[in-house]
Amino acid sequence: MDHFERQLARMMHDAEEPAPFGPRHRKRLREGVSARRRARAAKRAVGSVLTLAGLSVGLFLLSGDPTRAEPGEPRPLPATRPSPPSPVMTPGAASPSPTSTETSDPRATATRSPTSAPPSDTETTQNAP
Amino acid sequence: MAQARASEFDEFVASRWSALMHLARLLVGGDRHRAEDLLQESLVKLWFVWPRVADDAPEPYVRKVMVRAAARSSRRRWWGERPVERMPEVASAGDVSADVAERSRLEAALVQLSPKQRAAVVLRYYQDLPEGQVAEALGCPVGTARSHAARGVARLRQLLADVIEPVQ
Repeated sequence: MDHFERQLARMMHDAEEPAPFGPRHRKRLREGVSARRRARAAKRAVGSVLTLAGLSVGLFLLSGDPTRAEPGEPRPLPATRPSPPSPVMTPGAASPSPTSTETSDPRATATRSPTSAPPSDTETTQNAP
Repeated sequence: MAQARASEFDEFVASRWSALMHLARLLVGGDRHRAEDLLQESLVKLWFVWPRVADDAPEPYVRKVMVRAAARSSRRRWWGERPVERMPEVASAGDVSADVAERSRLEAALVQLSPKQRAAVVLRYYQDLPEGQVAEALGCPVGTARSHAARGVARLRQLLADVIEPVQ
């Protein structure tokens, strides 16, 4: 702290005037406390009213919503046919043979065999002149 | 309980009123009415937190409230005080005592500082607070508080050059 700073500190301390805390100050302080207490109570009341109003509006909007999904409504069906389940692959097992699959299906054998033509065609040819 | 609380508060205010009033006056740059408003407003805030701070540190609390409120009120337009290049006219030494003239000169110089500079200088040189507590009261880092105080003192060196003469 140099000379100027010391003098500055001295001036600040010397400038202090005795100022007693009188009845006027006490009364004003009490009034200030009461006013602030009233302001805080009013603010709290306004906050409560606004909260209540917000909750009421929210509940009203929720109860009047027409697009709400009812729990009893049937669920919509899928638009496409579901694909058949794929064969289950087990570790260590051989892949399924296509031959066995083909022979196991009687309709597939009937359609792919050349001898499965209807007999009526043969009869018609033989009877022709 | 409430009665005891009120009497403790009254006792604190009565014992510290004079010093707090002078602090408020320095913080606002000398205006007595603004200083009283500032102190009343700060003490009303103190009343509502009195049970929490009464046993601990009521004076640092009220000091912090005053410093911040002083900085806020300085930004209000209605106050209408503007910094000027030249110092205002002060009363001549023949009209008033030397002490009053010196105080008027000090207050007129303090008004020329920014609110934060003024607060930093007052807390540092009137309240004799260390830099850490000045920073806490101002609500800024220690380096910023140090900078405010240094700039404020540098400005006061110019303004009070003819009042405080340098040592040869």
